[in-house]
Amino acid sequence: MLNHLLKKLIRNHSGIIRMITSRIGLGIAVFLLLTAIQIQSNYHFLLNSSNNKDSIADFLVINKILDNNNLSNTKLDQDLINEIAKQPFTESVGILTPSRFKASIQSISDRFPFYTDISFESVPSDFIDVKNDQFSWDPNAAYVPVIVPNMFLDIYNFQFSISQNLPQLTPAIVKMIVFKLTVYGKNGPISFNAKIVGLSDRISSMLVPVEFIRWGNNYAETKSNNEVSRLVLKTNDPSNAAIVSFLKKYNLSTNTEKLRYSKYRKVIDAVVAIAGLTGILMLVFALIIFTLFIQLTISNCKQEIILLITLGAAPKQLSKFLLRQFYPGNLLSIGSATLLLILLQYGLKIFLEKQLIFIPSAISWITLITVGALSFLLWIVTKKAIQKHINA
Amino acid sequence: MHFKLNNVIPAILADRPSVRISGIWGQAIEWKKGDFIKITAPSGTGKTTLVHLLYGLRKDYSGEVLYEGKNIQLIDSSELSNLRQLHWSIVFQDLRLFPNLTARENIELKRVLQNPIVRVEQIEEMASQLGILSILDQQAMHCSYGEQQRVSILRALMQPFDFIILDEPFSHLDNANKKIAAALIEAECKKRSAGLIITDLDKDEHFDYQVSLNL
Repeated sequence: MLNHLLKKLIRNHSGIIRMITSRIGLGIAVFLLLTAIQIQSNYHFLLNSSNNKDSIADFLVINKILDNNNLSNTKLDQDLINEIAKQPFTESVGILTPSRFKASIQSISDRFPFYTDISFESVPSDFIDVKNDQFSWDPNAAYVPVIVPNMFLDIYNFQFSISQNLPQLTPAIVKMIVFKLTVYGKNGPISFNAKIVGLSDRISSMLVPVEFIRWGNNYAETKSNNEVSRLVLKTNDPSNAAIVSFLKKYNLSTNTEKLRYSKYRKVIDAVVAIAGLTGILMLVFALIIFTLFIQLTISNCKQEIILLITLGAAPKQLSKFLLRQFYPGNLLSIGSATLLLILLQYGLKIFLEKQLIFIPSAISWITLITVGALSFLLWIVTKKAIQKHINA
Repeated sequence: MHFKLNNVIPAILADRPSVRISGIWGQAIEWKKGDFIKITAPSGTGKTTLVHLLYGLRKDYSGEVLYEGKNIQLIDSSELSNLRQLHWSIVFQDLRLFPNLTARENIELKRVLQNPIVRVEQIEEMASQLGILSILDQQAMHCSYGEQQRVSILRALMQPFDFIILDEPFSHLDNANKKIAAALIEAECKKRSAGLIITDLDKDEHFDYQVSLNL
């Protein structure tokens, strides 16, 4: 009953349209702000998720940019390697060890004759995307396991085999073929059987187990040379613009295609920044308008409020009443903005799923915490504005 | 429950010669709960000022007004609200009704401002006694001054109180209505064992006063 009477006395003289407009503005501001946060959250989910086939976590093979000034001097010194390992975008660094011996491979099948000189590299197994328990070697092993870039098989199937009138090979058949691998060293050539155990997209190099590289280098008695010229960098965010600037600073190069995400990232960052900034500005304006709105309402009812207090109404009692009048509407604005975002997130999830990009169907905890924080901020602002003008 | 006035002199009356012969201004006075106090004074001697000062509406005076030993000038707004809801009731000389509310709503508002102690049916009973039952659903601004005065009296009886302060409460009532209103007020005071402080221009016998003072 008291509320009913207070509602009659402290009527909204400032106009329902103005009130609705300010609340719509508030809703849009909150929506923009939450959207900016949710986009960031989705982006981080994509970076760290293992579910995404199109995961943008990646491996970058890094070496010095070769030009006339550093021919034969492409060594990556230990200080630089340490510096790379220290960078925030670096998850881990693996050294690519090259073979320093002469080697060749040839087919042992007449149906499939070929011969070529070849070189290998090895890399710590953590950096290999082909899981094969047999990717190790010792001198008594039946064969040398080799991982070949997918690109090589494509070149063979779609160029070489056609030009040489050779059969095309599926990955399964390639893995069945046994090759003859010959290493040339101090005591003459030594031959081994070799088998392709996997095809990889990650590192564009013929990979063999590190034990084989060590053995071969030792057998060939090459000058002890542990210089590192290439390394593989694992990063969970190849879109990080800091990678590009770091590589540029140290005159390093990598597969620039893999850094294409940094361009997308810049666009996303710009969109997020604009949405976030617009949201914050709109929120500030909405709060100012809302505060003025409260002031205007209270000013219009000043005589009634004074008489109510004279008759014994406590300022706190009136503040609570006014808070109940104003705050639920604000909460409705925040709630509507959140609901819209939840629906959009769900829609986006379904849309991206078709492109094998998986994002959560629900909005993130950070977004929800922001909703809570904004609700609290609005409660404080509304309460303080009411108290200020009631007691004025 | 008692009021104490210690050497109180309102700032606006400080230079007037009447203050020197006043029975209240500049005196030490104590009024206890249950006392019926009549303050008689001609116009311009500060009756309304005294009422406002007792009710905590004015602070522009020297001396002290104490209630239960607490200086009214120093109590905060929430304590003052508590006193006005539970310990002091008032009928203003200028009535101070909400013109846009009906007579019933004006009365009801005071009833529900704190935990109600008067039942809704009692409002109609009392309104009937005061002869304002028929105008209860009229907006206060459309009631005559005499009707508004009775609405204001009824409103003051809707709450618990230790003292009811009445500022020329019967000024627009005829003698018959004065008697009825006074009887109702007295009955409600007795129910609450409350005191009554009434200011008026002339002496009267509406109540059985224990204290009668000239301002």
